[in-house]
Amino acid sequence: MNSLVDKRFELADQSRFDADEVVRPNISYWQDAWRRLKKNKLALLSMAVLIILFVMSMIGPGLSGQNYTTLTPEIKNLPPDSTYWLGTDYLGRDLFSRLWKGLRFSIFVATVAATLKVVIGCIYGAVMAYLGGFVDDVMMRIVEVLNSIPYLIVTLIILVVLGNGYLPLLFALCITNWTSTARMVRGQILKLRESEYIMASSALGASTTRVIAKHLIPNTLSLIILDMATSIPHIIFDETILSFLGIGLQPPAFSLGTLLSAGQEAMAFYPAHLLFPSLLLCLLVLAFNILGDGLRDALDPQLRD
Amino acid sequence: MAKYIIRRLLEMLITLFLIVTATFFLLSAIPGNALTSKIAKLPKTVQTKIIQKYGYDRPVIERYVITMKGLIIKGDFGESIIRPGETFAKNLKAKLPVTIRLSIQQILLGVTAGILLGIIAAMKRGSYWDKLILVGAMFLVSMPSLVISLLLQKYCANGDILKLPIIGWPKGKELWLGGWKYTILPTIAGSCSFIAYYSRLTKTSMLESINQEYTLTARAKGLSEMQIVKNHVIRNSFIPIITVLPSTVAGILTGSLFIERVFSIPGMGRYYIEAVQGRDIPIVLAGTTFYAIITVITMLITDILYGIVDPRIKIGAGK
Repeated sequence: MNSLVDKRFELADQSRFDADEVVRPNISYWQDAWRRLKKNKLALLSMAVLIILFVMSMIGPGLSGQNYTTLTPEIKNLPPDSTYWLGTDYLGRDLFSRLWKGLRFSIFVATVAATLKVVIGCIYGAVMAYLGGFVDDVMMRIVEVLNSIPYLIVTLIILVVLGNGYLPLLFALCITNWTSTARMVRGQILKLRESEYIMASSALGASTTRVIAKHLIPNTLSLIILDMATSIPHIIFDETILSFLGIGLQPPAFSLGTLLSAGQEAMAFYPAHLLFPSLLLCLLVLAFNILGDGLRDALDPQLRD
Repeated sequence: MAKYIIRRLLEMLITLFLIVTATFFLLSAIPGNALTSKIAKLPKTVQTKIIQKYGYDRPVIERYVITMKGLIIKGDFGESIIRPGETFAKNLKAKLPVTIRLSIQQILLGVTAGILLGIIAAMKRGSYWDKLILVGAMFLVSMPSLVISLLLQKYCANGDILKLPIIGWPKGKELWLGGWKYTILPTIAGSCSFIAYYSRLTKTSMLESINQEYTLTARAKGLSEMQIVKNHVIRNSFIPIITVLPSTVAGILTGSLFIERVFSIPGMGRYYIEAVQGRDIPIVLAGTTFYAIITVITMLITDILYGIVDPRIKIGAGK
């Protein structure tokens, strides 16, 4: 007969006892996103390209040691050689240095305008979602009115009114761009406020500050980062178009758009004047676009197909 | 439905009124308008006479009332300052057909080519075609249309590769049809970004409906691949495509601002830019209103189309 010893009542699989123990290291959302981004080689490459472009825009203008500001008609339209690496323009200025200086301005405008757009849009959208009711309706109507004119036209009018210069240009580029951010933030906050985990959180006694800090901001932040990354190429486009049309910047200030405009005038005889700014602009936008796509995949795995 | 459209039309009128008012007051804040530089060298008495003629001696509010009155009675914002005797409406007749033709060509090429490429990419997903289209679209998205038009003008016009004219536009009898050699490059330049955008959009939205259960059902009941794609997938994936239509029209309008400049096309965009650069206030005001009207109408049409394409959406059915 079998005796009833304790040994016979032991579980066959001991490891089931610690099934609910966290074995793997705890990875935060941002660590996870960074891990996913690291897997995307193309995005990393574009990030490297952007860093190189950024560094070059800082040190590039001084690199060849040639003047790019004063006019020296004796050496105008030189072909590329060892002194002037990309030749000189129609006023005898070193094209290599000008290229990086123009890039610096384009990057500067794009990042500042994108930051402003995001900040304004977030505040506006959050206020709309928070106050709701009549205020929401009125603020939404303002957004709709702004959206019923093509944004470049609004930008043009603002520039006509304010005149040319750095600050008017920045202001004009931001004036319509923020509406999309505002709508997105409003929609996201309204959606989150109805979500169950936030209800659960407040039911468990979380204060408003805690809900905002722990749930609303983290869940909106990735969208905002994405919004900023995707808007930078658009702002670069707009700035280029405005500078190309000769609206926005006051000479001697110049950007890639100004160089393109000068390039178009010289393109029949000196194609390099058009080609180099074009290539640089495409490279810049391409890098921003690929990085933006990579960020989208990394920040929101649900969006991946 | 009719009630909904009427309500939307009323809303549109309010929006347009707000836009006109805002633009008017913004523009009247400019310290020096085209008039001041134009009459700077004339004797004082003539100066005051000209200022009186354009009504700039009156206060802003009065000018606003006069402008609005003129708008309602004559449907115009007044004479151009730079070219006396010309009004916006007069120019519209000559310049609008040019821009319309360019826009239609761009939309036709961009949207059809984009959708076709998107369908191919979705049908042959994972293949080389798919990857090729994906990479191509990425490049096209990243090339500003401005750069594309400049490069096309440099390398495809005037005999380098193709014998196409650098600038210009068909006139007279050829205004609507004919003179294609002038229109090819501007059309391609303007439609590249749409090809890229629509191919990506079509692909994503088709993949979404391919993974839906109704597609599975269609496949289970033995429909051919062609029937599935034609009757179920494409129809359902057109909804997001319709929604981006207004942004396409807005994109075409903004595109015309610089493409017409690059190729010296005598259309609305170039006219507007010239007015902006010359600070020709009546024309800028009229142009802005004109662009706003087009955008607002497009938005309305899109909303109505929504209901037709997707019967699940009931428009005008309150919140």
